[in-house]
Amino acid sequence: MDKIISDLSHHIRLNKGFFLWMGFLVLALLACTYAYILQLRYGLGVAGLRDYISWGLYISNFVFFVASSLVGMLISAVLGLIGLKWVHPITRIAETIAVAFAAVAGLVIVMDMGRPERLANVFIYARFQSPILWDVTVITTYFVISLLLLFIPMIPDMAVLHKRFGSLPSWLKPVYKTLSLNWTDHPEQNRIIHRSVYILLILIIPAALSIHTVTSWLFALTVRPGWDSTIFGPYFVSGAFVAGSAAVIIAMFVFRKSYKLQDYLTDLHFNNMGKVLVLVAFVYLYFNINEYLVPGYKLKRADAVHLSELMTGHFALMFWIVQLGGLLIPIILLLFRSMRRPLPLTLISIAVFIGAWFKRYLIVVPTMSHPFLPIQHVPENFRVYTPTLIEIAITLFSFILVLIIITLISKFFPVIPVVETARDKGLDPLKRIES
Amino acid sequence: MKRPFYILLLIISTVLQAEAQNPAWIVPDDQKGKISLLKFTPDMAKQGEVIYMKNCQSCHGIPTKKNFAAIVPSPGDLSEPIVGNQKDGELFYRITTGKAPMPEFRNILTEDERWTVISFLRSFHKGYVQPDPEKLAASAGRRIKLSMVYDTAKRKIMVKAVELTKEGPRPAQGAVIVLFVQRYFGNMQMADPKTTSESGYAGFEWPQDLPGDKAGRVILSAKVSDPTGSMQEAVVRDTLSIGVPTDKPALTDTRAMWSTRDKSPVWVILTYTLAVIVVWYFIIYIILSVLDIRKIKELNL
Repeated sequence: MDKIISDLSHHIRLNKGFFLWMGFLVLALLACTYAYILQLRYGLGVAGLRDYISWGLYISNFVFFVASSLVGMLISAVLGLIGLKWVHPITRIAETIAVAFAAVAGLVIVMDMGRPERLANVFIYARFQSPILWDVTVITTYFVISLLLLFIPMIPDMAVLHKRFGSLPSWLKPVYKTLSLNWTDHPEQNRIIHRSVYILLILIIPAALSIHTVTSWLFALTVRPGWDSTIFGPYFVSGAFVAGSAAVIIAMFVFRKSYKLQDYLTDLHFNNMGKVLVLVAFVYLYFNINEYLVPGYKLKRADAVHLSELMTGHFALMFWIVQLGGLLIPIILLLFRSMRRPLPLTLISIAVFIGAWFKRYLIVVPTMSHPFLPIQHVPENFRVYTPTLIEIAITLFSFILVLIIITLISKFFPVIPVVETARDKGLDPLKRIES
Repeated sequence: MKRPFYILLLIISTVLQAEAQNPAWIVPDDQKGKISLLKFTPDMAKQGEVIYMKNCQSCHGIPTKKNFAAIVPSPGDLSEPIVGNQKDGELFYRITTGKAPMPEFRNILTEDERWTVISFLRSFHKGYVQPDPEKLAASAGRRIKLSMVYDTAKRKIMVKAVELTKEGPRPAQGAVIVLFVQRYFGNMQMADPKTTSESGYAGFEWPQDLPGDKAGRVILSAKVSDPTGSMQEAVVRDTLSIGVPTDKPALTDTRAMWSTRDKSPVWVILTYTLAVIVVWYFIIYIILSVLDIRKIKELNL
């Protein structure tokens, strides 16, 4: 038991590596904050956004963040409720990613607002018919449920570490004590925790499906080519599982290396996550084929323009790199067991993750760049969207913020559930506490 | 031996034929001399600018800015000498009749409005001097006055044309009358133009199923169609209660997806509210019960 505690918690301390990494992140964040100050002062014109293409990097990034956060539901709820034991060490990583991305996703929308001080108007003048109100509602809800799913299973860990982990930094002790809620492994306490988690796991499934379905409706409830699709909901949800699973694999690899968790995040876990990734990627591939083949067969006029822009036109290079390098080739590679070993799997996941980001760009921007009515009498930069440096910096800002949140949660709390791991191994954490 | 030559000739003539698909826009000689009866003033040019921005700018762009639309044949910038060197009558004819893809403004703008637009264009043409309207006023053509009534028995709109002469008014025979009814977007022409009879009347069959407003009112206008310019412009507008009373609520009057918040469909409000209440009930319930963990001491051990 002591070994498990020290193995899973030894990283909880302030060390040089942490300060270096956080220092780097905070400096980068400050640099990017300057870009946002410029945007606040001079308006959205400092970004490449114009009248016709008014959704660009920010909205693509928002969709990507919502997508990445969805994996919390897949791992904890879907795989967890089925009763797969191997997901236990991964659930907290998945929830951490979910919390971080969901928290920043809302902020990304604020960054895309020309007058962010009028944010309250979204609520004051909210229309029940507007998918934007639905989106704000479900993302908030999903964030709270994910936060609870991260925190509630951690209660026993807090108590055990507070009592038994000698090298817990003293400044963290009151935090642990408060968050442990006087947990003493009392059966009634465990019953409450178990029941709460169970309800949340059921609740998070519709909530998670809603957030990404509603996000897809922001597009699909219009008639524009490329968005006017009835399968946009499941298309987005399956794509989200791909991005999220890749994110979890990358995080697993990083935590395993930097927190020395080789005994707990084994090749088995990577192999299984590789299988999960290839499964969801197949589902996503299926929706991709639907999404391009069906309009491609009918070739309605506006769809034809859209598809030729994607496949042979302005966006062709990005499109084919994303579809082949971010989806098809990874699927083929992942069918081989040797490719599901930690290092190759992580490299493939990085390709998938980057591909997933550009895929969102390909969903948002091309449709905006050819509206039904011709673009006339406008300067050239109204026709072709090019993200500006300031815009890229502000997008990086959101990524850095996600990394900071993930770093803080993973650094000061056990990445792998301690009590659950002990119980899975037949150990009993409570006896020593009582003594 | 001669066959290749003929084939070549055929091809060349076909190509030339295709090239000639876009013949020059010729203004009849008798139209070129037409001039405005109103004096062009800076005020008039300003009014003309308003009409121009509404009706012409989308293709011709703003004069001197050369930002006309990229369509074939090119609409061109109307401040250019190629327009400036034309006579008033030529411009008036082109605006009036149009030539695809340029629409005809015969029934869109009144004669005065067309002249107002020309006065705006003329403000860009250097060295333009307006022909004196006074001289022509006397010989400007016949003056016609129109009126209209609905003949219930015949179910006809009767338009009466009266010519105002020095000797006094008398029925105008042979005037071509066009009748319009106002719809959502502009005027719709009713039936074919009719020529007035000896007594100055032109009768138009009135359809019995044409929708009017709540009270069945429709707005009608009749005008004299006179491409030769032998008559002065004559228009009459009248509101008659002869349409089918139609009480369609405006699209934003009822509850609908596209309406304001106060007019949301009830099912949307209910679904949204219910979903929020159910989910947040459980969330708050869980938060409260988890906080209860603190109160449970080791009582039963």
